[in-house]
Amino acid sequence: MLLLIKLLRSLVKTLHSDGTPAQIAFGIALGAALGLTPIMNAHNLVVLLLLAILNVSFAAGLFAWALFVPVGFLLDPLFDRLGHWLLVGQPALQPLWTAWDNVPGLALTNFTNTVVLGSVAGWLLLFVPIYIAARYGVVRYRATIGERVRHSRYYKTLQASKLYNVYTWFRP
Amino acid sequence: MFTPGSVRNSEPSPYTPPTGPSGSPTHPGAKATKRVRVFRWQGIIPLVLAGALTFAGWTLFGGRILRTTLSEAGTDAMGAQFDIAEARVAIMATTVELRGITLADPFDPNRNLFEIARLRLELEPRPLLEKKIVVRRLGITDVRTSTRRETPAQPSTGGGFAPRALAEVRRFAGQFNVPLLSLTPFDTFRAIALDPSQLHAVQATVALGHSADSVKSAIEAAYASLRLQETLDSSAALATRLQGTNVRTLGLDGARRAVTDLRTASARIDSAKRRVDALVADARRGIDTLQAGVGAIDAARREDYAFARGLLKLPTFDAPDIGAALFGKVTIDRFQQAVYWATLAREHAPPGLLPRESVGPQRRRRSGTTLHFARQESHPRFLLRRADVNVSIGGGGGAAAGEYAIAASDITTEPAIVGRPTLFAARRVGGGDVDSVRITGSIDHVSANAREVVNVNASGVRLPPLALPVLPYTMDPGRGTSELRFMLDGDRLAGRWSVRSGDLTWSTDSARARAMNSIETLVARALTGIRELDLVADVSGTIAAPRLAVRSNLDRQIAARLRAVIGEEVTAMQTKVRAEVDRVVEERSAPVRARIVELRAESDRRIADARSRLDAEKARLEERLRALSGGVSIPGIGGGTETLTRGAPS
Repeated sequence: MLLLIKLLRSLVKTLHSDGTPAQIAFGIALGAALGLTPIMNAHNLVVLLLLAILNVSFAAGLFAWALFVPVGFLLDPLFDRLGHWLLVGQPALQPLWTAWDNVPGLALTNFTNTVVLGSVAGWLLLFVPIYIAARYGVVRYRATIGERVRHSRYYKTLQASKLYNVYTWFRP
Repeated sequence: MFTPGSVRNSEPSPYTPPTGPSGSPTHPGAKATKRVRVFRWQGIIPLVLAGALTFAGWTLFGGRILRTTLSEAGTDAMGAQFDIAEARVAIMATTVELRGITLADPFDPNRNLFEIARLRLELEPRPLLEKKIVVRRLGITDVRTSTRRETPAQPSTGGGFAPRALAEVRRFAGQFNVPLLSLTPFDTFRAIALDPSQLHAVQATVALGHSADSVKSAIEAAYASLRLQETLDSSAALATRLQGTNVRTLGLDGARRAVTDLRTASARIDSAKRRVDALVADARRGIDTLQAGVGAIDAARREDYAFARGLLKLPTFDAPDIGAALFGKVTIDRFQQAVYWATLAREHAPPGLLPRESVGPQRRRRSGTTLHFARQESHPRFLLRRADVNVSIGGGGGAAAGEYAIAASDITTEPAIVGRPTLFAARRVGGGDVDSVRITGSIDHVSANAREVVNVNASGVRLPPLALPVLPYTMDPGRGTSELRFMLDGDRLAGRWSVRSGDLTWSTDSARARAMNSIETLVARALTGIRELDLVADVSGTIAAPRLAVRSNLDRQIAARLRAVIGEEVTAMQTKVRAEVDRVVEERSAPVRARIVELRAESDRRIADARSRLDAEKARLEERLRALSGGVSIPGIGGGTETLTRGAPS
C-alpha cells in the first residue's frame, strides 16, 4: 500500500514539478528498461547510473519501472523469440556474439540469453516511441487537467494524508 | 535523490500551468532560454552507497547464495541430490572453499556416492570475467564413498538433462531380455490354454489383415480412377461413327478430321495403358509388403514358442539363458551406471565448437535460453587442468575400502578447445583388504565421434555376495579378481565384466528359506558342490539395441544337471507347445494368407484384362485408320500404312 501511495505521489509530484516534459519523458523511457528487461542484469546497472547522473526525472524512471514490469512479463515470449532470432537466426551476427561472449566483462552482461537480449533490443526499439508518447502525455496533462487536479480535493487529501506523512518520516 | 523540479512538502510548487501551446512549463522569474544541465554528478553518491551496501550484503550472505546456487546447479547437472554445508569465497584470492559436500547415488536414494569434507578451488581470475571457471589448483581432503544417508535423497525434479538421462538409461536397461530361470516341476499332461490375443504372431496376423484390406481398397480405387470404360466407350463410339467411311465418302477435309480424331483416341488409349503400368507397379509394391508381413508372422511365431514355454514354466537347457538368468540383473546394473555417466559426460562436454544452448537462469521472468559461443582461442567454460587427490574410502565402501590416489587431467566442458581427451586414473595405495585396484579411463570428445573408455581391475578383492534369483541360496565368491571393461564408441557398446574366484561358498538365505521341489533340490545339490566361480558377461550392440551374453561355470553345471534329469520330458513338452502355437497361429493366419493370394490373383487378372481390352481397342482404331485411307495417301497426314503410334497432333 505504501509503495502504491509512494508511486502515486511520485507520479503526481513529477507531473506537477517544474521538470520539463522532456526530462520526465526521458526518465520514463530509461526507467522502462528496468521493467521491460530482467532486472538482475548488468545493463540495468548502467540504466540506474544514467538515471542517477543524467538530469532526468529519477522519480519518473522508478514510476516507469513499476509500470513496465507487467508489460515485460507479457512480452517475454516475444522477447524470447526476438533474442533467439538475433542469436541463432542471424549467422552474420554470430561472430559478434562469439566475440562478445569471450571478452572479459562483456560476458557478464548475459546478452547471450534470449530473453535478456530480446528484451534489451525490444526496449531500444521502444525507447523513442516511449519517449515521444510520455512527452506528449505530460504536455497534454499539464495543458488540460493538471491545474484542476492540483486544486482537487483528492490531491489535497493525498498531500495531507496522515498515512503519507507517516510514510514521509521514513522517506530516504 | 534529486528529482527535477521537486520541492519540499512545506514549500509551494513553482509549477504553473503552461501558457504556450507547447506546454512547456514557465514560472515567474524563469528565463525561457535557461539551459538545463545534462548531468547531476551528485547522483553518484547514492549509487556509491548502494554499491557499498551490495558489497556488505555479499560479504554477509555471498557464501550462502553461492552454496544454494551450487547445490541447485549440482543437483540439476548430476540428476541426484547435491548438498553443500558451507561455502566460503575469497574474492581477492579467487578461491572457493566448500565444506560438507555430498552427492546422492542416482540409483540408490539411501546412499551417497561420495562425501567430501573440504574442497578448495583456486581459480584463474581472468576467465572469471568471461563467466568461465579455470581451476588452477584443486585440493580435496577427507573423501568417503558409498556412505549411507541419514535421510533419503530427494529425486531430482528439475527438467534438466540428468533426469532425462536417468530415464534413458533405465530404458536402456529395460531393453535386455533377461530370461527367467524356472525350476518348478511341470505336468507333462497339462493342457496348454493359450490366449490367442497374447501371441505376437496372432497380433501380427490381425494387423496384416487390416493392411490387406487397405491394399485391396487402394488397388480398387486406383483401378476405378483409370476410367478405362469411358476411354474404351469413347473410342468405340468413334470407330462406330467411322464404320464404312473412307477418304472418298468423307472428302479430303473430312478424312483429315477423322484421322485427327482417331489419333486423339489412340493417344487416350496409350495414356490409359501408361496408367495401367503405374497401377501394376503400385499393386506389386503393396502386395510385396503384405508378403513381407507374412514373413513377420513366422518370425513372431518363434517368440511365441518362448512365450508359451514360459507359461508352462518349462526349464531351459541353454547355458547362456541360464547364465543370463543368474547374473543378468547384476551385470546390467554394472553397465547401466557406466552408460549413465558416459551419457552425462556427453551432455556436459559435447564435441565441437557450435554454439550450445542451455536453459537460462531461474527467475520469475521467463528463463529463456542461454547460448554459449566458443572459439578455439578462448577459455572453455570449465577447465580443471589437473587434479591429484588422495581419497580414503571407509569401511562403508565395502570391498572398495582403502586409500586411493586419484589423478585426472583436462576435465572440461569444451574438449574441442582443450584439444586433449580427459584422462583419469585411480589406484589403491594402502588400507583395506584388497591386493590391488586400478582404474583407468578416458573421455575423448575432441573429435565428432565421442568415445568413453573405462577399465577397472581388482585383484585379491573381496567380491560381494550374490543371492541366486531362483533358489533360496546366497553365493559368496570370497576373494577373487574382478575386471570391468567398458567402451562407448559413438553409439556402439562394448563391455566385459569378468569375475573369478576359487573360494566360492554357499549359504542358505534365511530370508528366502522355503521347502524346495525335487528339481530345485537336485540343482541346489549340484550347485553347492561347486567351489569355483568363473563368470564372463559381455555387452555389445548399440545403446538402442544392446545385447547381453553371460556365461559361467555355474550355468553349464545347471544345464547339464537339468538335461540329465528331466531332458526327455521337457523336450516332449516343448514339441507339444510348438504344435499348439502352430495350431492357434495357423487358424488365424491361414485366411489372411489366402486373402493375400487371392488379392494378388485378382489384381493380376484385372490388369491383364485392362491391358487386353486396351490393346484390342488400339488395334481396332488402327484398322479403322487403314480402312479410312483405303491405301490412298492423304496429303498432310501421311499414307495409309501409317500407324497411330505417333499420337495425336498437338
